[in-house]
Amino acid sequence: MEKISGAQALMKSLLREGVDTIFGYPGGAIMPVYDALYDYKDSIRHVLVRHEQGAAHAAEGYSRLSGKPGVCMVTSGPGATNLVTGIADAMSDSIPIVCITGQVTAAALGTDAFQEAPVIGIVTPVTKWCYQITNAAEIPHIVAKAFHIASSGRKGPVLIDITKDAQFELCEYDDSIQTITLKSRHDPHFAKKLDRAAALLNSAKRPYVLFGHGISLSKAENELVQFVEQGGFPAASTLLGLSSMPKSHPLYMGMLGMHGNYAPNKLTNKADVIFAIGMRFDDRVTGDIKKYAPQAKIIHVDIDHAELDKVITADIAIHADAKEFLAQITPLIKSRKHDEWIGQFKKLDTEEREVVVDAELYPKSGEISMAEVVRIVSEKTKGKAVIVADVGQHQMVSARYYGFENSDSFITSGGLGTMGFALPASIGAKIAGPKREVIAIIGDGSFQMNIQELGTIMQEKLSVKIIILNNRHLGMVRQWQELFFEERYSFVHMENPNFNKIADGYSIPNELVEERKDLAPALDRMLKAEGSYLLDIMVKRDENVFPMIPSGAAVDEVRLK
Amino acid sequence: MRYVLTIKSENAPGTLYRIAGLLLRKKINIESLHVKEIDRKKHISLFTIEIFLSTHLMAKLIKQIDRVVEVTHAEYRRMQ
Ligand SMILES: Cc1ncc(C[n+]2csc(CCOP(=O)(O)OP(=O)(O)O)c2C)c(N)n1
Repeated sequence: MEKISGAQALMKSLLREGVDTIFGYPGGAIMPVYDALYDYKDSIRHVLVRHEQGAAHAAEGYSRLSGKPGVCMVTSGPGATNLVTGIADAMSDSIPIVCITGQVTAAALGTDAFQEAPVIGIVTPVTKWCYQITNAAEIPHIVAKAFHIASSGRKGPVLIDITKDAQFELCEYDDSIQTITLKSRHDPHFAKKLDRAAALLNSAKRPYVLFGHGISLSKAENELVQFVEQGGFPAASTLLGLSSMPKSHPLYMGMLGMHGNYAPNKLTNKADVIFAIGMRFDDRVTGDIKKYAPQAKIIHVDIDHAELDKVITADIAIHADAKEFLAQITPLIKSRKHDEWIGQFKKLDTEEREVVVDAELYPKSGEISMAEVVRIVSEKTKGKAVIVADVGQHQMVSARYYGFENSDSFITSGGLGTMGFALPASIGAKIAGPKREVIAIIGDGSFQMNIQELGTIMQEKLSVKIIILNNRHLGMVRQWQELFFEERYSFVHMENPNFNKIADGYSIPNELVEERKDLAPALDRMLKAEGSYLLDIMVKRDENVFPMIPSGAAVDEVRLK
Repeated sequence: MRYVLTIKSENAPGTLYRIAGLLLRKKINIESLHVKEIDRKKHISLFTIEIFLSTHLMAKLIKQIDRVVEVTHAEYRRMQ
């Protein structure tokens, strides 16, 4: 057999996994691989980011729209440590990414060599799996294993660290596909639990379906809709479940959680049966766990058995893939309507509309509100764009007011809440979904956390639309200081640079929007533009996001003001 | 409560570190630890770890240990 270098074996292995895009940044310890990549320019698109954190988030955004693991590749030491935030983010949100890091030679490991960092030691707690390759011959098998682990079961980030000598070393590339089998845990009581869950739902008076990211991760959007329609169940989404069910669906009741909708939170404590699928009862969703749905029987379905009974003890805990489970339970569900119960949602929804929503969406005077920007974007794109939101008030407002009609349309950092996520994630999303309109909605604070990725957008000529909701503040923190720290505004004001000049520097067409009358026309121009476009929109500086479950309070203590 | 965990896993570098990391996140101290390869052909190691932990946390922890890719089997029992 002809011998090839480890670096070439890596290329072949990546192609075998169907990799067409790598987000990366070169450096000493990964140079043999970059040299091999030079020969694969036609089959693999390498996107040169401007900071390794950007590579990890771009890989996440790519994964969210492509359904495949995103791939990032960086050098040893600082290159690898710069990835860590992105890896932790992918771990929190179960996003499959494969990270490849260069490493010093095997002989130099543990000697504090130049640009040596103990990457495996650093990332073990924030990866689903990681492995250090020191022999070129291991590469085909380990790459196959990495992709399999990242994208099976509960998905997540994996990392392969490859020493520089293994990248140079010659090996026989063994192309025989090695099948990777991971252990699987079978619940012997599954059939019985399925029947019990169906019976419980069929006899429920006030059934309530909660769904999360697991729906899009297992591509169960159609099965979810069929299930709720069959039972006539009202359904509510977590932050990452958004867009897995069209917002206009009559059984869609809104978003759960700290800044979710009023009715979905309040009525959690009125339902008699809660069916939670592909969600993990995050503390931002449950509020005070001791006061979370004490009256309800809870059915919890998750692909990760460690999530079952972790936060909330379920009456029926089912370890299953969302898509398969929904397909199995729907035929057992009686066709019913729950008009009176759904009426309770509608009533509270009207209250939320009157107290909060209308004023935010249609302000008549004063500065522009974040909500009206999102409303107009939603109207102009008919709810069909991919919204990539960063972290803060603008994230919650985007989640609340964009009218998602299509699946896979909301990409944001949920579990880790990583500021700086949106700009690089929108790069990955646009590359995975070039036909979709990708709009990044970012706060002025978050924008400055990975602002360098404008360079990537410029170089790759990506048609990413960027909206800065500029309140000159770290708004979400400011809100908490106002409400819970006696208005002691401690380091939340930001003196910002001229974002238009910065965009000019990157040759990205841009506008500054300060007045209401200019907003809609500017959004039109942004949406019509062929390439990337940036709008710096000045919004009210002291807006608060409501409803809100104050931290430590119960779900039904959600406040409208 | 004093518990003994018995964990079987692939005999691979980093597995103990991963398991110890799960204990560390909950600030659980290891009272005693023993590791040995018990299956030479399949390269399976057996970990025996003693810890103190409250009962309601034990069932959650063992599932997180079981979730580790390299772990093939994990169980616990209470010590007198
Ligand atoms: C990396 C990181 N650092 C700090 C925080 C804490 N934090 C959460 S929201 C927020 C303010 C975000 O400000 P901005 O991006 O301007 O958005 P706004 O809330 O004003 O819409 C901060 C500092 C975080 N989530 N992530």
